[in-house]
Amino acid sequence: MNQFKYISSKTKEEVLKILEQEKSEACIVAGCSNVLPYIKDRKLPAKLLLNISDIEELNYVKKSEDEIYIGAGTTISDLINSKIIKEECNVLYQAAEQFADPTIRNSATIGGNLADASPAADVAPPLLVLDAVLKVESIDGKREIPLKDFFVGPRKTVLHDDEMITNIKIKNYPINKNGCFIKLGLRQAMAISVATIAMVLEVEKNRVKDVRIAMGSVAPIPLRLFKTEEFLKSKEISDDLIKEAIQKVREEVKPIGDVRASAEYRRYVSGILFKRAFKKLTD
Amino acid sequence: MEEYKVELTVNNEKISATAKPEESLLRFLRRNGFTEVKCGCEKGDCGTCTVIMNGKTIKSCITLAMQANGKEVLTVKGLEKTKIGQKLQESFVRHGAVQCGFCTAGMLMAAKGYLDTNPEPDKAEIRKAISGNLCRCTGYKKIVEAIYDVAAENYGLVGDINV
Amino acid sequence: MKGEVNFKVKKIPIEFSINGQKREALVKPNDLLINILREDLHLTGTKYGCGIGECGACTVFLDNEPVLSCLTLAAAVDGKEITTIEGLAKGNKLHPMQVAFLKNAAVQCGFCTPGMILTAIALLKENPSPTEEEIKDYMRGNICRCTGYVQIVKAIKACAEGGENESI
Repeated sequence: MNQFKYISSKTKEEVLKILEQEKSEACIVAGCSNVLPYIKDRKLPAKLLLNISDIEELNYVKKSEDEIYIGAGTTISDLINSKIIKEECNVLYQAAEQFADPTIRNSATIGGNLADASPAADVAPPLLVLDAVLKVESIDGKREIPLKDFFVGPRKTVLHDDEMITNIKIKNYPINKNGCFIKLGLRQAMAISVATIAMVLEVEKNRVKDVRIAMGSVAPIPLRLFKTEEFLKSKEISDDLIKEAIQKVREEVKPIGDVRASAEYRRYVSGILFKRAFKKLTD
Repeated sequence: MEEYKVELTVNNEKISATAKPEESLLRFLRRNGFTEVKCGCEKGDCGTCTVIMNGKTIKSCITLAMQANGKEVLTVKGLEKTKIGQKLQESFVRHGAVQCGFCTAGMLMAAKGYLDTNPEPDKAEIRKAISGNLCRCTGYKKIVEAIYDVAAENYGLVGDINV
Repeated sequence: MKGEVNFKVKKIPIEFSINGQKREALVKPNDLLINILREDLHLTGTKYGCGIGECGACTVFLDNEPVLSCLTLAAAVDGKEITTIEGLAKGNKLHPMQVAFLKNAAVQCGFCTPGMILTAIALLKENPSPTEEEIKDYMRGNICRCTGYVQIVKAIKACAEGGENESI
């Protein structure tokens, strides 16, 4: 029988204090869109449900000189409604628009999607290509973790027991403005991704000046395709280049088969998604 | 078994009750007599449990009852006391958008929640707005047209129903 | 050869017109009209639903009267005019009843629809301004599993009230 305790926190400090005391016995909950199904399936080992959905100071989108900060408690709907996200990190905006469904978007948070660390987390590929850095805090202090170093396995991250993500930082590089996110799912809404791709691209004189590619649902973690990026850099854009890059993508992804798709299909379609995204950004 | 005190307002009625920490708002509402909120999949997919909490449309099956403490919740029984609610209900019936009726409460709440943010939607936007609500019977077209009719009537759009 | 009984079936020649076109055929005595339509003439708009005359999906016009083609012997259509769902539209211009069904969301899976439309056309010929009750009564031989019927009745009423543009 589940014997949970519940605390609703009003401040970040309080949360960190409780995390220090309870460690892995505490589970931070915000939108609860994943946690409640876990509880029902008796898959939640924690004993204390620590509600942070009412903490105002975790819900914001701010822009400074050349950096954008997103509070971990910002809901996906808030991301969509944010002018900053739409204009400065459009690839994240595109992902937010295809995230789950409009109702769930009102509750689900960007921090929650990252902390849950599903290989299919839809905010991860865009944040990876935006080179996002997570601010992670405990009562003892804070540290910064580049998102590309954050995931270590399906539902496994480098977060310690007493830590929480407090915000996500994105440096405002010009390349961020030219981005594309494509989601392949079995439905047009409310779908767990079969495969997703996020890409930002900078082209100069018909050559790839810089490119960042990340994919979801095709590896144990949301994956930056560093090898494919290296291959593409400074190459002249042509149909042959795309063909070769498709091969590189298919070699770099590490998909598994599950109820939604086979590994072969995911591997094949990764190449297609690359082509579609690349063409969209170069047309 | 720990139970916590929960105080909230449902359809303008003050409710004081207890809930287990892990109890969903859906189960809490139904247990306290608000059975108009339907229990479908209980994992956030079907949308039959949709309610509006402090102005936000949410799925009550994936929200903790405790998270509703101190908040205002609107269910379809509260909605039907409002003018927009009555218009939506009448439009649903007129368009044949109610077959078995199980998805209807959730659909009405999703519709109301959306019209609050965008009073002049086109049909594509309505389809997106209810994309978190599943219906097994109607084929959705009638539901979309029922909602569109209310929006069009309310906001002076030409009520041309395209095929 | 000795010992073999010859069960050669004598085929019957028939002449009929289908959606305005004259056709000839050789049919076995127990051939059903629905099979001739679907398999020989490749007019698959007429649906095989129950095969026992209960669902109405196989409805066609025989000399402008609605009949159940699953219960009609092919031999019996000799010298007659058959209209199927395919014969309603004039080029790209749909029949007003077809338009009404589409406009009023009366089509979900679409399987009952050809039968529904033909029966409804027959109704309006007989009774150009039916009440809702009269519609429901006349249409009782056509079953739908999807729509709940409300929209079908609405579509027929809308068509009866006229003003349905013939093109979409």
